[in-house]
Amino acid sequence: MHGYIPLSYHIINMNRNRLSFKIIVRVLLFCFILGGSVFTIYYLFARETIERESRENAIHLAESAVYKIEEIISPAEMIPDNLAWIMETNALSQDSIYAFLEQLVRNNDAVFASAIAFEPHMFSKEQYAFAPYAYRSGEEIRSHDLWSPAYNYFIMDWYQIPALLKKPYWSEPYYDEGGGGVLMTTYSAPFYRNINNSRVLGGIITIDISLEFLTEIVNSVKIFDTGYAFLISGNGVYVTHPDASRIMNQTIFTYAKEIDEPRLREIGRDMISGKSKLSKVTLKELGDVWIYHTEIPSSKWSLGVVYPHREMYAGLRNLNIMIFLLSIVALTVLIIATVRIINKQIGPLTKFAHTARNIAGGNFDTELPAVGDNYEMMELHDSFRFMQEELSKYIADLKETTSAKEKIESELRIARGIQTDMIPHIFPPFPNLPEIGLYASLESAMEVGGDLYDFFPIGDDHLCFAIGDVSGKGVPASLFMAVTITLIRSMSEKNRSAAQIVQSVNKTLTINNESNMFVTLFVGILNLRTGELQYCNAGHNPPVWLNKDKEPQMFGNTKAIPVGIFEVFDYRDETVRLDPSDQIFLYTDGVTEAEDVNKNLFGEDALIHALAENREKSSKELTDRVKQSVKDFVNGHMQSDDITMMCITYWGENGNNEKK
Amino acid sequence: MKRFTYSYRCIALLMGLAFLLFGWNNCLAQNERLVFTPHWIPQAQFAGYYVAQDQGFYQEEGLDVDIQHSTANIASLDLLKQGKADVVSTFMLDAIGQRASGVPLVNIGQLSQHSALLMVTKKKSGIDSPQKLHNKKLGIWSSGFEDVPLAFMQEHGIRMDLVRILQTVNLFLVDGVDALLVMYYNEYDQINNCGIDENELNTFFFSDYNLDIPEDGLYCLEDSLNSKGDAYAGFLKATLKGWEYANQHREYAIDLVIGEMNKAHLPNNRVHQRWMLEKVLEMMNPGEKKVKKGELLKTDFVRAMEVFEMAKGTQGHQTFEFEQFYKSPKGK
Repeated sequence: MHGYIPLSYHIINMNRNRLSFKIIVRVLLFCFILGGSVFTIYYLFARETIERESRENAIHLAESAVYKIEEIISPAEMIPDNLAWIMETNALSQDSIYAFLEQLVRNNDAVFASAIAFEPHMFSKEQYAFAPYAYRSGEEIRSHDLWSPAYNYFIMDWYQIPALLKKPYWSEPYYDEGGGGVLMTTYSAPFYRNINNSRVLGGIITIDISLEFLTEIVNSVKIFDTGYAFLISGNGVYVTHPDASRIMNQTIFTYAKEIDEPRLREIGRDMISGKSKLSKVTLKELGDVWIYHTEIPSSKWSLGVVYPHREMYAGLRNLNIMIFLLSIVALTVLIIATVRIINKQIGPLTKFAHTARNIAGGNFDTELPAVGDNYEMMELHDSFRFMQEELSKYIADLKETTSAKEKIESELRIARGIQTDMIPHIFPPFPNLPEIGLYASLESAMEVGGDLYDFFPIGDDHLCFAIGDVSGKGVPASLFMAVTITLIRSMSEKNRSAAQIVQSVNKTLTINNESNMFVTLFVGILNLRTGELQYCNAGHNPPVWLNKDKEPQMFGNTKAIPVGIFEVFDYRDETVRLDPSDQIFLYTDGVTEAEDVNKNLFGEDALIHALAENREKSSKELTDRVKQSVKDFVNGHMQSDDITMMCITYWGENGNNEKK
Repeated sequence: MKRFTYSYRCIALLMGLAFLLFGWNNCLAQNERLVFTPHWIPQAQFAGYYVAQDQGFYQEEGLDVDIQHSTANIASLDLLKQGKADVVSTFMLDAIGQRASGVPLVNIGQLSQHSALLMVTKKKSGIDSPQKLHNKKLGIWSSGFEDVPLAFMQEHGIRMDLVRILQTVNLFLVDGVDALLVMYYNEYDQINNCGIDENELNTFFFSDYNLDIPEDGLYCLEDSLNSKGDAYAGFLKATLKGWEYANQHREYAIDLVIGEMNKAHLPNNRVHQRWMLEKVLEMMNPGEKKVKKGELLKTDFVRAMEVFEMAKGTQGHQTFEFEQFYKSPKGK
């Protein structure tokens, strides 16, 4: 049973090259990129939406505040218009004009004061100036003439500007000294009179309005916590602003200079020119803000609403933080889950790898790891199971085969010993025959071979020798060889000629030769006294005759067929006479047909050449040299046929000096 | 112990002597009280006086100065004539006018050495040369200052309709007049602070038209000067010191200005007052004129008289010399 293994252990111990690590990293990377892309799109979209909504909201707020302001201000504009026609006639007396004005103020709550200021000598010829003025004083309505030498209204803005421009004028806001320091504005409209059939300026009618209501309306516009609305006059003077120290003291332009923000000056210029516009600007106290401004149509003042970016995007920022935190949690859960799942799913792979090693180590019974219901893992499990079973079977077969082979090999080793023992292998073989020097060698290509050689004396003055090569190789050839060599010996006892020996052997071998094997055979009988060599070549390679005074010479090609083929074949003797120290070199086709790696044959010419170079050497030395030449030629290439050589040196009747 | 007792007695004796020499003297010397009236409402134009007051420079001169501002309706010179002010600041040409009409006032110190007066027009009006000002409406204060523009008109052979205004620049802003007479340190910046950019204005600086007439100076009645020469000398000295201090500590000076304006319930802001202080200080700098700070150059007086005569004519006016007009107070 497995204990709990912490996730960190999995991750830390996860080799970077492990499949699970790679899968997890790729999956997480993909999730990260996907999540990041989705988040970016969402963020941009949300931001855009917030901006759009804020813009719409700003416009709405500004427009509704302006509407409320207009509702109060615009009726004030109507009073002078209505009064103008009354004033066009000089119908009212001085007293009734005061009463009229007092009544007017009393009846209009929004009106703080009202005046009718006449042009010089316009009210009466005697009177230079006359400006009846009614105003609120607490609960009362009072009135008096504004004119005095110290109060020359003709040069005051409220009178002078509409008089000169001949159109109504909203004054800049001012603190009314008589009205308890209330912020006021004055609407002044000219009225006219017909004098001598010409329309001349009669004077100016004014309506003073307290701006307290206006402050209330503008201040009631709430935008988040720090956003606000403000109002500036036609000159850019702050009429309302949350920072009371700016009201009437600063213009938007002095403030722009104070915070060194030229963009605010541009906004101010747009505002006083009556534009409605949304602009971005950086304020000292709020940072980046949107300002939407629109004109108050009657007074030509401008209302601005300030949207601080910080708060505009605060919701989005909080949401982003929440999303970020959630993402971290989700990512952590994803990592844990992915690691768990991947490890569970592909964990058996590691176990399979261990199992494979165990099996390779010979432990075929190793238990296979448990797999869940994963199809691929089940397939792998079945394959392993199949491999285990097949390997077990195969190894069992292999054991059996190997033991059989070992048995055969051991038998072959014994057979080889027997075969070796069948041919003479003690050199020099005839220490008491000084006429002869003889050496022979047989190297089987396989455990047992089909080549053969033999020699033995016949009587006191003859030496019989034979060399042969059984068709085929291996055990059959070796058995055939054993029969042949036995026959040669036994036949030589009854027959005195080489041909007769061959004839007898042929006859015996042919009978019951079911396997159709045959043997090339060269049999010679050397007369040690005369050097006469009687021989019979039954299809064997012609031996080479070496004479110290002549080039090596091959015996002529035989026309006789190998023995064991036809029972009735007439083998004939041939005779040559050897001079003392002549040598006869006999060999099997294993010598001339020795192959190098490129399948080139050693050949008869190379053999003649090797023999010519060493012809005065002893039989053993000559044989060894030829053997070496063949070895050099094949250069380590595998021997494919038995190599058998035999060399006989005839020293003549009087013996030799050969030591070896 | 005896030694110590002796020492105490010595100290007590020395302290007594010190009191007799200095303290008694101080008790005897009552500070001279002076009422000073600047010729306009509180603003940075008068920063040097507030600084001198606040820093105790007047006190150091043995003066107890009371700064009482005039208003748009009451000129400082009227207060001087009525004896309500001991010393006033005013425009040199206005002072010349008063002297010419017989008021025995004298200049005891010339603070501004240059003219800060100019006319502005809006570039969109196309008025960009003196000739184009011909027959145009010029907004001009009801309280005076018309001498220089009148001289300008005469010298350029033009006439303009003078529209008297009280104090704001609104009439110009709403195009009620074509041109407006302004002070560079005040109304010019006010226009700018109402959203009109400098590059939207054409300017006619009178100093560029050989009318660089010094402006703000200190005046008192000749009799007063004769009787209280020391006090006036101290006042001038402390005032110049105050201005120098204001020059070195501008933000502090502006603080005092803002304080005075708040006391008088006047709208104010630092941006404008900073501009004003800077320009007023520039006007006080003689520059190429060979005159010390606070003194009146005779050639400037002569040129001012020319301008005055050009503007007013000489009929019914007393004539007087530089030496009669400018009397630097002599202290002890």
